[in-house]
Amino acid sequence: MMVIECIVNDKKYVLEVDPQERLLDVLRNHLGLLGTKEGCGEGECGACTVILDGKTVNSCLVLAGQAHNSVITTIEGVGNRQSPHPVQKAFVEVGAVQCGFCTPGMVLSAKNLLDKNPHPSDEEIGVALSGNLCRCTGYDKILRAVKLAAEEGK
Amino acid sequence: MKTEVVGSRALREDSWGKVFGQTKFPADVNLPNQIYGVVVRSPHPHARILNINSEEAMKLEGVAVVLTANDVPHNSHGVLFRDQPVIADYVRMVGDPVAVVGGETMEIAREAAERIRVDYEILPAIFDPEEAMKPEVPPLHPELQSTNVLYHLPIRRGSMEEGWAKADVVVEQVYKTQHVDHAFLQPEAVLAYLDERGHMVVQTATQYAHYDRGEIAHALGFRYSQVQVKTLAVGGAFGGREDISLQIIAALLALKTQRPVKMENTREESFYSHSKRHPMTMYYKTGAAKDGKLVAMQAKIIGDAGAYSSWSINVLRKSAVHATGPYEIPNVEIDSFAVFTNNPYTGAMRGFGAAQTVLAYESQMDLLAKKLGISPLEIRLRNCFQVGSITATGQELTSSVPLDQCLAKIAPYFRREVETP
Amino acid sequence: MKYYQPQSVNEAIEIAYSSQGIFLAGGTDLVLQMQKRKIQPKALIDLGRIPELHEIKETKEYIEIGSMATFSEMGKSKLIAEKASSLWLACQTMGSPQIRNQATIGGNLGNCSPAADGLPPLLALGTEAVLISGEGEKQMPLADLLGQTPLLSPGTLIVGFKIPKIHLLSGFAKLGRREALAIARLSVAVALELDGSKVGNVRVALGAVGRRAFLSDSLAHVLSQREFNESWLELGISQIQGVVRAALGDRASAPYKRVAVAGVFREAVASLRRQGGLDK
Repeated sequence: MMVIECIVNDKKYVLEVDPQERLLDVLRNHLGLLGTKEGCGEGECGACTVILDGKTVNSCLVLAGQAHNSVITTIEGVGNRQSPHPVQKAFVEVGAVQCGFCTPGMVLSAKNLLDKNPHPSDEEIGVALSGNLCRCTGYDKILRAVKLAAEEGK
Repeated sequence: MKTEVVGSRALREDSWGKVFGQTKFPADVNLPNQIYGVVVRSPHPHARILNINSEEAMKLEGVAVVLTANDVPHNSHGVLFRDQPVIADYVRMVGDPVAVVGGETMEIAREAAERIRVDYEILPAIFDPEEAMKPEVPPLHPELQSTNVLYHLPIRRGSMEEGWAKADVVVEQVYKTQHVDHAFLQPEAVLAYLDERGHMVVQTATQYAHYDRGEIAHALGFRYSQVQVKTLAVGGAFGGREDISLQIIAALLALKTQRPVKMENTREESFYSHSKRHPMTMYYKTGAAKDGKLVAMQAKIIGDAGAYSSWSINVLRKSAVHATGPYEIPNVEIDSFAVFTNNPYTGAMRGFGAAQTVLAYESQMDLLAKKLGISPLEIRLRNCFQVGSITATGQELTSSVPLDQCLAKIAPYFRREVETP
Repeated sequence: MKYYQPQSVNEAIEIAYSSQGIFLAGGTDLVLQMQKRKIQPKALIDLGRIPELHEIKETKEYIEIGSMATFSEMGKSKLIAEKASSLWLACQTMGSPQIRNQATIGGNLGNCSPAADGLPPLLALGTEAVLISGEGEKQMPLADLLGQTPLLSPGTLIVGFKIPKIHLLSGFAKLGRREALAIARLSVAVALELDGSKVGNVRVALGAVGRRAFLSDSLAHVLSQREFNESWLELGISQIQGVVRAALGDRASAPYKRVAVAGVFREAVASLRRQGGLDK
């Protein structure tokens, strides 16, 4: 076992973890943050996307130790019903949500894009979301939602 | 007609929970004291199980139980026919469950599953449906059919002799499609437990909570009223969650251990365990007269049902019914077959048998147009269903057949050069 | 399993020696192999906390890239875009944004998949690899290193890469089954010196046509010192098809890749022209 420290959604944690555990396991099993989903377990689908030190990563491919001393944002740290993040609001308004399993990862990839680049081109939006798969194939509405969120932010 | 519903925009109520990551999918529910179930699956497509040795698995600390076929009260399930074992003692496809482990943690259960030794008598397997349908090939389900042909639907209209006599051009081709996995983004997961009444409660993502309920009750020997299936958020399905996956196995583990049971497929296990889209081989012969009118079509469609029936009958029925496409043909002979093989079992998937035949009948239209020297659009306009058309099955279409309007809309965008013959 | 996070290269080498552990770079391959129980290390030595391994810098003779530089760091580097454009191009299409944020160039070499995206560009650019072990530091051409089996002896750490600053135009193209998240079925990197309309030395490297990425001597020989025109391109295509034929033999993918490499080579050369400002 090993001890890691990290800040998740603005809260500091000191956790005892098995070094084999992945960041995904830490978030879901230790912290009960179940909004981070496991879709493929091999970095293909992006359902487990979180923001780690300002960058999106697949939490299924990050070991707990690699997250030591880092700052993490999960979907639970982005908006709520009283004050949704513009991306979340746009996803609902545009109808970019179907089964919803990819949605937390999509929202985090989109949020991170807009944090860095508030006025992205269509191509930049496409690239930013290229690591998140949607099988209901609502890509068109997802891209539109991100665009709308960017416009609202202007 | 004016209504407040049609044409008005509505926000999906469920999307709020989903954008905040609050929505519960089956992997997101847990109970105190739950054990974790892992399935051991067959690596062989056709085999008899001679022996299962779980001694090494049981030695591992934290292993609660190992279940095999003998532990299932009524060992069968299936949406049309109960021809699929809950836990197999006779294997008909790679991925058939042969044993189930319950452990205190997922890691222990996985480790124990690797320690289970299964002795198989490997039997000859058959993967080609056209080979499998021959009468001399031993059937995989003798209790259902005396051959591997699960289903044959013949459709006849008009006279083929007259039809071919009128044909100025004929196109004859074979088309094949492949297995496709739904790959819904959320792998199968279940939480099963006995409630204070001794009733079995199963929380899962399913397309058929009511079917699941009956299947679980049957397999466990419970009354229907003693089983409750709660559908949580479904992370994509596309037909792939119509058949039972882990529901009965989890319930059985809960019954045997009297503890809540959690099961979660990895992506790989998910691929091994659920149905696929039917691969089809489609022999098509279509004839048209000089004026571009279709006069005859003969189609033989062979669908690979794989190891179990699932929805194969309904799927191949749909293929047959859609075999002409949206085109009126006076003389038609269609034969559609669903055939058992040792391939992964096939079932419902988006389109449900109607998707495969599109490849065949639309390709035939393009090839006929080329032979006739008219445009692909023109041949479709001359043959498409309209109000009053009669389909191959004899149905008269009485309303709402706007295919001609649809084709008219795309006509301006259609720029393909017409090749002269 | 033990988990170490050394703060310096020397510390990492010492831990590797004493723990018999293996080095963890970004982890996008290793974590997956551990999950599937293909690798069960005694100890992991996480290189993520060694600042010097993350550097991308220009020295007098080289562009130096630390082994822990991620694909997104390289893909956002102006220096790499301008002076090692084939590598920069490879960084734009490798994996997905999430993978690029985590995967490193050192890990790409250490894992050494046949389809590793970073290796053909480095080969074409004539890169030297810098290694360190208990026996000291060593610098050798990447092409020579890739000829070794095993690639690295136990306890050897990839420190980084040195790309010589000879003025080279370079391009890269990859064929995947889709645009994003695709493992390369075929990749080609081309680097050349251009003097007016004449090509000087040429290096062509291929990925996913064999066990490891490799530099083709025969292509270098045939394509160097010629006029850079349409017939040069056609010559390159026919030659590279021969190289793929020879490398793949009767493998199932051979008939496809033999034909497909023509397009990939053409695209790699087109990217080189674009990056070099020869075409818009």
